[in-house]
Amino acid sequence: MEKIIEEARIVSRQLVRGQIFRLRLHAPNISGAARPGQFVMLRVCEGIDPLLRRPFSFSRVDAAEGDFEILYRVVGRGTLLLSRLLPGASLSLVGPLGNGFELPLTSSSPLAFLAGGIGLAPLLELIARVISERGQKGAGELRLFYGARTAEELLPEDLLCLPGLRIDFATDDGTFGYKGRITHMFEEAVAEGFGPSEIYSCGPLAMQYNVAKWALANKTMAQLSLESLIAWGLGACLGCALPAATPEDPGAERFVHVCEDGPIFSAGSIKWNKILSQQTVVPTFPFN
Amino acid sequence: MEQNTVTTNGCPDLSVQLGPLRLKNPVMSASGTFGYGEEYAGFFDLRRLGAVVVKGISLLPRAGNPAPRIVETPGGMMNAIGLENVGVERFVRLKLPFLRESGVPVIANIFGNTVEEYGELASRLDGEPGMSALEINVSCPNVKKGGMVFGTDPAMTAAVVRAVRAATTLPLVTKLTPNVTSISEVARAAEGAGSDMISCINTLAAMAVDVFSRRPRLANLIGGLSGPAVKPVALRCVYEVSRAVKCPVIGIGGIASPTDALEFLLVGASAVQVGTANFINPAVMVEILEGIERFARVEGLAELQSFIGSLDTSCLFPFSEDACSFIQSEIS
Ligand SMILES: Cc1cc2nc3c(=O)[nH]c(=O)nc-3n(C[C@H](O)[C@H](O)[C@H](O)COP(=O)(O)OP(=O)(O)OC[C@H]3O[C@@H](n4cnc5c(N)ncnc54)[C@H](O)[C@@H]3O)c2cc1C
Ligand SMILES: Cc1cc2nc3c(=O)[nH]c(=O)nc-3n(C[C@H](O)[C@H](O)[C@H](O)COP(=O)(O)O)c2cc1C
Ligand code: FES
Repeated sequence: MEKIIEEARIVSRQLVRGQIFRLRLHAPNISGAARPGQFVMLRVCEGIDPLLRRPFSFSRVDAAEGDFEILYRVVGRGTLLLSRLLPGASLSLVGPLGNGFELPLTSSSPLAFLAGGIGLAPLLELIARVISERGQKGAGELRLFYGARTAEELLPEDLLCLPGLRIDFATDDGTFGYKGRITHMFEEAVAEGFGPSEIYSCGPLAMQYNVAKWALANKTMAQLSLESLIAWGLGACLGCALPAATPEDPGAERFVHVCEDGPIFSAGSIKWNKILSQQTVVPTFPFN
Repeated sequence: MEQNTVTTNGCPDLSVQLGPLRLKNPVMSASGTFGYGEEYAGFFDLRRLGAVVVKGISLLPRAGNPAPRIVETPGGMMNAIGLENVGVERFVRLKLPFLRESGVPVIANIFGNTVEEYGELASRLDGEPGMSALEINVSCPNVKKGGMVFGTDPAMTAAVVRAVRAATTLPLVTKLTPNVTSISEVARAAEGAGSDMISCINTLAAMAVDVFSRRPRLANLIGGLSGPAVKPVALRCVYEVSRAVKCPVIGIGGIASPTDALEFLLVGASAVQVGTANFINPAVMVEILEGIERFARVEGLAELQSFIGSLDTSCLFPFSEDACSFIQSEIS
């Protein structure tokens, strides 16, 4: 697939809530080629701090206008610099990268989307794409289980407004919606009769692990968007590795590479018990 | 920005002679940062490059180190990939044909766990069409010597180079680690054992930790630092090595712009390799090449070769009575 390096123009920038920003970029070539679940590498400044590009998922794509959007949370210097750029400024992009989500196999079966925090970003574009492919009327039962630490970090509903989508909210502290884990909320919905044929999920690694566990135990297809530190995004450096499941030879050591083989993985393709705690480091930036 | 210069007949000659190897220009990719070339072919015509140095190759495929394998640090990045690679057979069968057809000179970076493995790799690659040279990576763990690294010991380095020399007639580059007391000594040992060129530097041993989790950032605890942050160290190494040996030196470390590359040529490198910068700008090597060409024009250099190693270490006192007086530096 063609990889594109493109100078994008910032169309608009909006502080959505808390530390979360929404950025709209004009980049006709990349927008024309983007699929849900794929990402772009974005150069936030010309200098060497930060040095590397930063990965962001497409949260909305408007190919007709030649635009796409990203939703991001400020967690470090790169995202901080990004949040200071104003409309009209230009940004260097490489993309679209990664495999992207496989759209659902069937045309009307119920689907579950699980989003933790900023993990909502790639699911928004996916849901929009599913609705437009299935047609609004026959979209079937589409449910989004969306959670964050606290109500302050949930995105406002106008951003989530997709016709035919039912949304259940959860917060860790119970300040809005269900109190507790997204996966628990989802399991309760299943106990009440919701039977998704496929699951799409994006969020913190601990959440993804629970989704994968549920999907494997219940033999439900799940596609998870996973993260790893990405230096370049085209497979050349082998830095973004995650331990791969090796069912044919459980003792073997093999790796998948998030930027090339992912970022979308099936629940069964990762060797979850070999993921190190470093893979889930909490940003230290707010402390300084 | 064209200045009024003595433009010769248009194109300056950028070709460089690296011992037995002649390259049409001095810019090549650094091992491990350019995959097997294919990953970048969509961005520019690989034939623009002097050569492509591929990801390090071992006899058997290697899975590499546990994740996380990379972390960014100020002005640089650390990696502990653990030399994940497809192994020499799959390299020859699946990766080399693409490069051969693209027409760019190919330099294979090789590493083994034992001296014999280096020799075996060299004889396997010897005579493969499309191969221009071998780069011997002597900065990987040596199983036989209990985790020590070949490249930190001049005698071990020489043993590896001799084994490879005996197994192939291909031009040989020995790639040195900066993690030693005297890089010149190791360079002399490699040259003495039959290496046609020296390349330096490989990454600097480094560390990054997180105070909240109280854990190292990399699963491997220690990684190799690369990128702009290492350039001053790399320049010093290239300067020292190019004075210690007679064979050509290839400069590596933090090169991200035409002036970076020219600095290495100035202190004595005959060619350069670009690594980490490829991750930030996939077309950076072409931009460096064009910048070098522009520089040669602006400076009125008919051929680049005359610029190599032309660093002036004498002292000049522009405000002394006799404006022309200068003394020889003590440092040289
Ligand atoms: C395929 C992919 C898609 C992504 N899509 C989005 C998105 O749509 N929206 C969004 O807000 N973020 C997304 N991310 C995460 C985003 O890339 C990081 O938050 C960003 O790179 C941080 O850069 P920084 O310079 O601000 O932080 P840094 O200074 O680099 O790091 C600050 C802290 O942020 C954390 N961090 C850094 N990089 C990552 C990472 N890759 N994943 C998780 N935590 C990280 C680390 O804990 C670090 O301590 C995505 C990551 C990947 C791999
Ligand atoms: C991700 C990564 C992988 C590397 N892999 C190899 C390798 O396989 N063999 C090798 O000799 N050097 C390897 N290197 C070292 C580079 O070739 C180069 O010597 C070093 O990065 C310094 O140059 P730079 O600052 O331009 O990156 C690797 C470097 C990086 C960043
Ligand atoms: S980021 Fe380099 S291989 Fe994925």
